[in-house]
Amino acid sequence: MFVERLMNQTNAPLVERVLQFAADRHRLIAENMANVDTPGYRQKDLSPAKFFAMLRDRAATRQTSAPGTVTYDDIPSDEDNPNDGILFHDQNNRSMEQLASEQAKNGLLYTMAIEILRKQFGQMEMALKERVS
Amino acid sequence: MFDTLDISASGLQAQRTRMDTIAANIANINSTRDADGKPNPFRRRFAVFASGLAARGADAAKPGVHVGQIKQDQSPFQERFQPGHPDADARGIVRYPNIDLSVEFVNALEASRAYEANITTMEVTKSMMNASLRLLA
Repeated sequence: MFVERLMNQTNAPLVERVLQFAADRHRLIAENMANVDTPGYRQKDLSPAKFFAMLRDRAATRQTSAPGTVTYDDIPSDEDNPNDGILFHDQNNRSMEQLASEQAKNGLLYTMAIEILRKQFGQMEMALKERVS
Repeated sequence: MFDTLDISASGLQAQRTRMDTIAANIANINSTRDADGKPNPFRRRFAVFASGLAARGADAAKPGVHVGQIKQDQSPFQERFQPGHPDADARGIVRYPNIDLSVEFVNALEASRAYEANITTMEVTKSMMNASLRLLA
């Protein structure tokens, strides 16, 4: 309980939720890549804009809430079928350029979140050990 | 993350099967007889993909792709006037497979690019997993 409250006072839970979102989105992008030649397949995606808007709103409630009580696990990552791009003759709305670019951006987001989380854990470790390393 | 690798692996397998059918089409571009030696031209094959890790069973509901079926192209055979050919009919016409080399080359190019795209996705997955492991270090 103490450790959980300690962790929740940092940005670690928020960054963990971002990690989970990036992992879920990467899975969908991989499925889209694998089904690039499947007739009738419609591309699936998660909306980063909607997700980060909800995350920002939730993070803003920290200012008026008790420390360590704001959680982010219940923020949904809603799957949708984007209708951007051309619908090909096999009823597949693939766009390899879009997929490759979103995959790269999502990978970078994941890596950035990992680095932030590492720094957070490093700082906590320094505090617990009472030693700067 | 491990299931993401399974999804990309299914994409690799599906594209490789597609490449196998293309290779078979190109190899049989002049086959005017079937395996029994009867005058029956080779009919072009093509792979039809379906989403899902497998056609049936527990894997069918999992995300991925598989080859739903290998279908035969029902477009008409090519006919060439070669009266001296052993497989020529009474009119001197020999029926050849309904395979166009340029179509097969373009399909082969697309299959190889899709294969590369799935490889790239696996590389990104691996780098994300390696980054996660650095949390423990």
